[in-house]
Amino acid sequence: METLGYLIGVILPPITLVVLVVGLIYRFRIWWKLPIPKMTLFPAPDPGSDTFLGVLKATFFFPGLFKGDKSLWAAAWVFHAMLALILIGHVRVAMDFPRLWAALGINADSMSAWSGGAAGIIILFTVIFLLLRRMSLERVREITQGGDWFALVLVLLIIFSGNAMRFLEHFDLKLTRAYFASLVMFKFSLPPLKGWFLLHFFLGQVLFMYLPFSKLLHFGGIFFTQTALQRR
Amino acid sequence: MEMSSKKNNDYEVVLKEVGGIKSGPVPLRVAMEICARCGTCARQCPVYQGKPEARYNPALRTDRIRKIYKRYYTPSGRVLRVFSGSGDLNQREIEEWAETFYECTGCRRCAVYCPMGIDHSVITRKGRAIVHKLGKTPKRLLDVTEISLKTGNTDGCSKEAFINTIQFLESEMKEETGIDIPIPVDKVGSDVFFVPPSGDVLVKPEAVMGIAKIFYVLGVDWTMSSFMFDGANYGLFTGDDEAMKAENLNCVNEAKRLGCKTLMMGECGHAHRIMKFMMEKANWWGKLPFETTNCMEFTADIIKEGKIKLDPSKNPQPVTYHDPCNFARSCGIIDEPRTILKASCADYREMTPSGSENWCCGGGGGLSAMDTIREFRMNVSGKKKLEQIKATAAKFVAAPCANCKRQLTQLMEHYEMDVEVGGVHDMVYRAIVLDGTGIA
Repeated sequence: METLGYLIGVILPPITLVVLVVGLIYRFRIWWKLPIPKMTLFPAPDPGSDTFLGVLKATFFFPGLFKGDKSLWAAAWVFHAMLALILIGHVRVAMDFPRLWAALGINADSMSAWSGGAAGIIILFTVIFLLLRRMSLERVREITQGGDWFALVLVLLIIFSGNAMRFLEHFDLKLTRAYFASLVMFKFSLPPLKGWFLLHFFLGQVLFMYLPFSKLLHFGGIFFTQTALQRR
Repeated sequence: MEMSSKKNNDYEVVLKEVGGIKSGPVPLRVAMEICARCGTCARQCPVYQGKPEARYNPALRTDRIRKIYKRYYTPSGRVLRVFSGSGDLNQREIEEWAETFYECTGCRRCAVYCPMGIDHSVITRKGRAIVHKLGKTPKRLLDVTEISLKTGNTDGCSKEAFINTIQFLESEMKEETGIDIPIPVDKVGSDVFFVPPSGDVLVKPEAVMGIAKIFYVLGVDWTMSSFMFDGANYGLFTGDDEAMKAENLNCVNEAKRLGCKTLMMGECGHAHRIMKFMMEKANWWGKLPFETTNCMEFTADIIKEGKIKLDPSKNPQPVTYHDPCNFARSCGIIDEPRTILKASCADYREMTPSGSENWCCGGGGGLSAMDTIREFRMNVSGKKKLEQIKATAAKFVAAPCANCKRQLTQLMEHYEMDVEVGGVHDMVYRAIVLDGTGIA
């Protein structure tokens, strides 16, 4: 367990960081420099509307998908909303803001316990839905590639192990926070040696390294396509 | 020996063209890289919905280029191979491109719904451009492009034949109304230069006669050109940018020669789109001495201003409107034709869905002109449109596009439906009230 903890918690994180940051810069830099065609693209935009607001709307609410496939829209929107909540929640693993919580009159620990727990369960169901959809719909199955199965199963396992850490094993927030607080200062120490935690942390890093080189980067690409599309 | 050098040459062309995607533009390159593979495009594609087979799945068609792009031009594709959706060049598959990229009507309906903003028509056009470079463009479309560049119209109609036709149309109107309603030709110094698709002169001329009546009532100083009476531009369909620009320049030069203030495009979506949203926006030929507009925008405006009188009882039959992809989705001309039809028809019926969500006629992207794939157009790509038209129980379908008209006419014949297909101004032609005063 200690060797595993050493590999996942000491050796891997700096590699993950470099791959993620270099990969993201590489991809975004390329997209950023691409020419946007001068001709008006599709769909012909409303003359009165604002490009920036249009991009934000498309990015946060997927209006096209809403018109095109309601059930997928619902699953995708809930998935991404939960993902955002969960990512924000993860900030507390490395640092806490007790004064902020006090000022807002919130008991942060109990709130994150139920909201984080609920989000973890809801997102698990949305991913299972997406997986079943991919398996059962002919038009989706026939376009599915290895990378698509991999991404879904990886995300599913990350969510499952995250829930398991919370519900199936004792989660020591203090110990974990101490580890991540030093990690963000680039001090690499041994992480808490818990099975589900190590699995969750390992798979999370795999996802971060895979992200820049996969379709999962659609969260960045959508800004580029939508900016080109919504331009007047 | 000869086979293998041909193969090497084909590979070289494909690799060079696909590699060019690396330098953009945005919609093309990003589409290669961020498809979430959700299948929404297939759900909204007229071809796939006409026949749900893998070969018609838009994402798989796009993959034919995408996998080469990934395999030869992305690190992940080189390393992860099939896992990331990359695939080796394959001569047998390249041979199929000429077919497969002409099984997409380029209607851009997928792009309305794609959450990533991917427009498969952009990739289809790229695919066709490569097919063109390989010398495999369908012969019919090559012929049409060539004829159009030579004669100024896609039907290869001579100047004399055109002038005869116009005179015939004028005498028709004289016979019907008792009034001399002119269709001026080659009149230098006119305010308006009108460019319809050639079919609106040669096949279904009521649209042009409708315009002539409107201009007569309003006293507009207008003209047509005996060289450039066809806005159609097949370079857009074959991916041949050079031909597209040459064709476009012919029209722009004619507009300059005639000294018009307004270049008014007729009921032809792709011609209007090239003029207004490609040539003008990208400033192909520098500053122009005229402005570009569309006849449907013009007529809708004068109807709203109450400048012409229309008698809807002249068109008592149920009428519906088909949104051509280029007008609705690419130019945003959606309300104007409806304003015109509602004012000139007694029983206007909306299709469901309509506007930018309307289904393609099944003959978009130049397919309508290809009789070799008529079977496909009737039984696959036109299926959705057929259902829609049936549901309205309309007896007249107005479609301001010569390609849509041809496809819809054949579709109605094929399924033995008693439905007339025509243009929007056809309805104006039949309903407009000429009070005999001539120029107002």
